Amino acid sequence: MIRNLFIFLIIYLLLTASCSTKIISNNYYQEQKENLDNIESRYEKLNPINPFSLSFTDKDFTIISLEMISDTLTRIYEFNVYEQRLADTLLKYNYDTAGVYYLIRKMQETKVTWINNFDYYVNDQPQQLIILSIKPKTIRYIFSPPKYIALAYFRAPQFFDEKGKLLDSRRTKQFRKIKGQVFYKITDRICYTITEKYR
Amino acid sequence: MHNQVKKLRLLYKSIIFLFLLLLLSKGKCIANDFLSDLSSTKREALEFLDKIDQTKESSLWPNIKPKLFYDNLKLNLEKPMSFYPGRSTNFCAYGALSYLIMEKDPLGYVKFMNELYDKGEATFNKNNFKPSKAVMKAAGTLKFKGVLDIRHAEQMWFLVLADKFKGYLNFLHKRFHEGDENTFWAATNLAKFDRMVSKMLGTHVKAVGSDLIKPWVKDVYSYLEKRIDSTIVSLYINNRIIHKKTHDKIKFSIPTHFIILRQISKVNNMITLRYWDYGGETQMQISPGTLKKIIFGIITIDK
Repeated sequence: MIRNLFIFLIIYLLLTASCSTKIISNNYYQEQKENLDNIESRYEKLNPINPFSLSFTDKDFTIISLEMISDTLTRIYEFNVYEQRLADTLLKYNYDTAGVYYLIRKMQETKVTWINNFDYYVNDQPQQLIILSIKPKTIRYIFSPPKYIALAYFRAPQFFDEKGKLLDSRRTKQFRKIKGQVFYKITDRICYTITEKYR
Repeated sequence: MHNQVKKLRLLYKSIIFLFLLLLLSKGKCIANDFLSDLSSTKREALEFLDKIDQTKESSLWPNIKPKLFYDNLKLNLEKPMSFYPGRSTNFCAYGALSYLIMEKDPLGYVKFMNELYDKGEATFNKNNFKPSKAVMKAAGTLKFKGVLDIRHAEQMWFLVLADKFKGYLNFLHKRFHEGDENTFWAATNLAKFDRMVSKMLGTHVKAVGSDLIKPWVKDVYSYLEKRIDSTIVSLYINNRIIHKKTHDKIKFSIPTHFIILRQISKVNNMITLRYWDYGGETQMQISPGTLKKIIFGIITIDK
């Protein structure tokens, strides 16, 4: 009996270890295009006035980590989105409270778990892009890592190779990796990758 | 016979325990007390920098742009807190070290960097640096690391430090290959950090904690509060609790990040931490429980 149980356990472990997490939808961006683009454009308007980033740290999308970024200090606070403290804090530090709440609501609806602004440099000149991480529905096996979809919204059209991999520039075959990940083309300005971390 | 086996087992376990204790615990360490003939001012450093030809190129560092290099050195002097170890790299420990060096010896830093740029070899507080060719080629090429992309002096500084100082985490990655700024090649464990600070600053360093076991300190808040005014306090923390990266609840708890503690206060059992990392200060509120959970090492450095 114990021997059978042991064999069963080994087979189970081998099976689960060899199965990676699967994202159910193959086409999340197209399905949620309107909402995702809306989130990105709203964030693009709000962020330059008073920079910040938002991430949901729980699976139920109720606990939010708010990073308020100034030249000299980054404040990190965690709130339940239904707490009054969140609105008070946004007000205290002169954020567009209604705008940020709208963003939070849309992020909850679309399962966007993190939004942030990235700076990068081309020919030593600063450029910006916005990253959105999405927590899609997945089939996940025990011991397999989680999977998230990361979308990168560039401000200008980018260059890709024949397989749709994001390139560093027009004249190179070198991939432009963001946080160590190769990104793939959706449009000439938007690309995606599948990642095990949402930030 | 049975008793003998039992005794052997006990002995074996004791040896393993002692070995692990030696390996992991760093109760207190490193009193390499040169106490410091090192010290200079920002003004002296800026005067030194003004006298240098800042347009000269160096064939030893083929990808370093002179303007970006010297502008960066000037920025390091004018805004020492702006040192930025880069996005997704393992340079945070070198960032914390830079903060300490700029507090103590800015002139030593610029002289060292200028000599390194000119000759490909230089000495800082009796530590000779002769970086590998791969590192010299990589400096100036790091990309998508945020503002580090255009900070060529910081790229050189971080790469050179990682190339010189080694700990057990670097055991399998001793030589630099492209992209190694993100790998174990650049990683720093607690003992390596202490050794690096002690050697570079020539000052007294004391550490409690280890790479796997949290420090045996009963009240972490009081411990930090007592020391923050009289010493510089650096913390070795599990940053993944502060900056969660996944929604998984079960996580292997290990330290990942070095920070410099600037202020700490407590109101209504909520602790406010203000610390330096990544080119600026961060302020956050956490519970005493979380504070204890995130800290693996407390390093105090004589001012």
